[in-house]
Amino acid sequence: MKFLAVWVLLLSALLPVVAGLAGTVQLDTAAWSELFKTPGLVQSLTLSVWTGSVASVLALALAHVVLAAAVTGGWSGRLRAASLPLLATPHLAVGIGLTLVLAPSGLLLRFLSPWATGFTQPPDWATIQDPLGLALILGLVIKEAPFLLLALFAALGQVPAERLVLQTRTLGYGRLKGWLVAVAPLLQRQIRLPVAAVLVFGMTNVEMALPLGPRTPPPLALVLWQWFTSADLDMRPLAMAGSVLLMLASLGMLGLFMLAGRLVGRVWRFSAGSGRRVTSASGGLMPGGLAVVVGTLGLASIIALLLRSIAGPWRFPAVLPEHLDPAAWSSAASVLPGVAGLTLALGATTALLAVLLVLAAAEPLRSDAVLRQRVAMLLFVPLLIPQMSFLFGLQILLLKLRLDGTLAAVVWSHLVFALPYVWGLLAEARASLDPRFTDTARLLGAGRLRVWLTVTAPLLLRSTLLGLALAFGVSVAVYLPTLFAGGGRVATLATSAAAAMTAGDMRYAAAHGAAQALLPLTAFVAAVVLGRVVFRRRLGVPG
Amino acid sequence: MLLVARLAPAVAGDATVTPVPAAAWAMVEEEARGQTVYFNAWGGDEAINRYVAWAAQVIKARHGVILQHVPLADTAEAVSRVLAEKAAGRTRDGSVDLIWINGENFASLRQAGLLSGPWVAALPNAPLLDTHGNPTTVVDMTLPTAGYELAWGSARYTLFYDSQVVLVPPRDPAGLLAWIRAHPGRFTYPQPPNFLGTSFLKQLLFLLSPELARARFAAPVGADFDALTQPLWAWLDSAHPHMWRTGRIFPASGPAQRRLLGDGEVDFAMGFNPAEASRAISRGELPGSIRGVFFSGGTLTNSHFLAIPFNARAKAGAMVVANFLISPEAQARKADERIWGDPTVLLVSTLAPGDVARFATLRRGPATPESVGRGFAEPHPSWIRALEKAWNRRYGVR
Repeated sequence: MKFLAVWVLLLSALLPVVAGLAGTVQLDTAAWSELFKTPGLVQSLTLSVWTGSVASVLALALAHVVLAAAVTGGWSGRLRAASLPLLATPHLAVGIGLTLVLAPSGLLLRFLSPWATGFTQPPDWATIQDPLGLALILGLVIKEAPFLLLALFAALGQVPAERLVLQTRTLGYGRLKGWLVAVAPLLQRQIRLPVAAVLVFGMTNVEMALPLGPRTPPPLALVLWQWFTSADLDMRPLAMAGSVLLMLASLGMLGLFMLAGRLVGRVWRFSAGSGRRVTSASGGLMPGGLAVVVGTLGLASIIALLLRSIAGPWRFPAVLPEHLDPAAWSSAASVLPGVAGLTLALGATTALLAVLLVLAAAEPLRSDAVLRQRVAMLLFVPLLIPQMSFLFGLQILLLKLRLDGTLAAVVWSHLVFALPYVWGLLAEARASLDPRFTDTARLLGAGRLRVWLTVTAPLLLRSTLLGLALAFGVSVAVYLPTLFAGGGRVATLATSAAAAMTAGDMRYAAAHGAAQALLPLTAFVAAVVLGRVVFRRRLGVPG
Repeated sequence: MLLVARLAPAVAGDATVTPVPAAAWAMVEEEARGQTVYFNAWGGDEAINRYVAWAAQVIKARHGVILQHVPLADTAEAVSRVLAEKAAGRTRDGSVDLIWINGENFASLRQAGLLSGPWVAALPNAPLLDTHGNPTTVVDMTLPTAGYELAWGSARYTLFYDSQVVLVPPRDPAGLLAWIRAHPGRFTYPQPPNFLGTSFLKQLLFLLSPELARARFAAPVGADFDALTQPLWAWLDSAHPHMWRTGRIFPASGPAQRRLLGDGEVDFAMGFNPAEASRAISRGELPGSIRGVFFSGGTLTNSHFLAIPFNARAKAGAMVVANFLISPEAQARKADERIWGDPTVLLVSTLAPGDVARFATLRRGPATPESVGRGFAEPHPSWIRALEKAWNRRYGVR
């Protein structure tokens, strides 16, 4: 009975996935043998593994080094602010924006042409969709490094970073090296699940691979997407077998990453034990520079997309469009309010439910770190399985429950993807509250509920606000779950942006993408500002 | 629902249209009143979305039917959903009432028994269709529509080029190949299985095949596939090395290629709507120097349709909506390039004088070629999969 809330939480997160998988994973031997006869299957799979894992390693390394440089260098506030727009902008929008920067007809070469390059026509270069998938890797790093950075910022609350850095300083280490030796490994332990989610997303995403990925052959996720959306219904069993293969590959890579993580940890300890001191301040320059390059490319992508949304004809090599034309925005303005309103309502409902479920389940687990970790791992399962492999099955479950196409179904599907993040943030925040506050209140004769309402809840307010913003952001961003659970009838900014992107009118699409980015961005800023306002006269309230 | 079911046997059978008893249609209209029709249609084009929104307003005012556009990123999403509903045993009260569809999707749904019908002959406006002059309105990629889908608009495969760079556009495969060789890196086509890419293959296949062999494409693919398609692969083999990205990367879709054309990365794009480039020019999406042209030997033509899934909730409502969408008023507005620019499926010359005038005042944009010349009907749908597979084996993996 005590754990009722925990069971409710787990059931609402995992039932859709289990039911969905059951509907997808069928042993169709004909489909499997057909799958293995597909030309280029091995190359496709290799590409998925290569781009996903390299991007994850790079994003992780970048996030660590940049965080270390930022915190020890005193610019972590600015870093957090700069990463928010990247975090809030949907993958597909960043991906398309990046093509507008990197493509031979993109901003980068326009800036250099014709005065430096001599080009009056875009050169025939594969700067995007290159056969090695480098552009795809870059795109993934741009999106995932800020996400991991946010996870690291959250983990910072559980690690006595300042004390550790101080200790290493007294031992003669420079700031950066001290951080990397003493703090980073502790942080890494906290963000294993987000890293795993990044790896699986990198291997299985369609959003980034579509604009940036190689084509002959494409990464496996794109091949599957083509099969799932094929008019030929005979392709569906093939697509399902393929998505199981992709799932197995991602699980295998997860295992490999865990092994590699241990190995790196050992090497790390060994090198830390060497005792070599690095004190030069220039150590922060390289990571700082890298962060600037990746961040600038990311922000440039967003700007390029926005610029395109108001551009008239724009021939190479003009740096700016011939004239500006707000037509796309004014025509989008006629449909956006309705769609945005529904997106807002869905996001708010998802956020409230997620926070309530997590707070209720966090209460009985507040002093049990092991169980909390187990719950976290279970909640992360939906993020560790390729979405395609369970969404079709989920759709059939919803149909049987007669829930398909309802707002409730959409909220449920959004919850599945929001809960792991909210749990990671809020359950830990609850656990790190000093129990003496509530003990004192209980001693003074207050009942459980009153203690929770008057002591616990206010102390958790700031984390709760962030949790709400986080869940809201997830709800606004998810495309495939909205599509499948909503039966196509629920049009959110995510679905209308995706539809607009397929039409290729960049200006209309960019207007939708911008609106989709703006909502979570506003929520994050509101959460931070509100937290500050409420607590401006109180000292030492946890953030 | 019941009324429609009772009506159906009366109008079943062949697609040749006889006028519908007014009383029967009045019953359908009566049943439709108050129904909500979920119209699953590709929602990527804002002009089309606005057109559907206009239709919804009119239909609500005149017939009391609520038309709800369900914008899709891909029609297969709706096909998938109907399939899932069948798998879940939902034989009525389905989520899709009307679906914008053609070719392969129609063949798939029809074969799987997932379409309702025949219902087309029951529509009062059905006799206005140009079934003789434009047989693609009743034969969808060689499959007779048999009253299970209603032609909504027609299409012709059109090449678009930048007249500032391409002074004399090539209009046959040999000329195109010569142009490509002379201008390395400036031509490409969407990657099959994207439908425009596959259509490019079909278009070339027709043009490269001798007249006698062309009839063969109306029948399913057979053992002679390799021999029949040999000229196509030879053409592609010699063109690819001189194409954009040396034929190793292809744009993902027609719109993606249109963007490349607008950015000056290539000099050609292609589409099924002859008015597409004119519209893009007026929106400022393409430079004003873009022009359209048909292949001189004939161009691939087809129609796109409206169908009702087997388990639709609002069948009567869907029929009322469909009937309005092929009315001269709705068709003329659709054909207006300032609105959408989708060619009509009606035989304009037989319409009432007032309706003829609606079409007579339409203007062609600067990049819209005149719709004359020979049309090729689409090959049997099995050719699509076979061409895609063969293409993928040859060029899809490097």
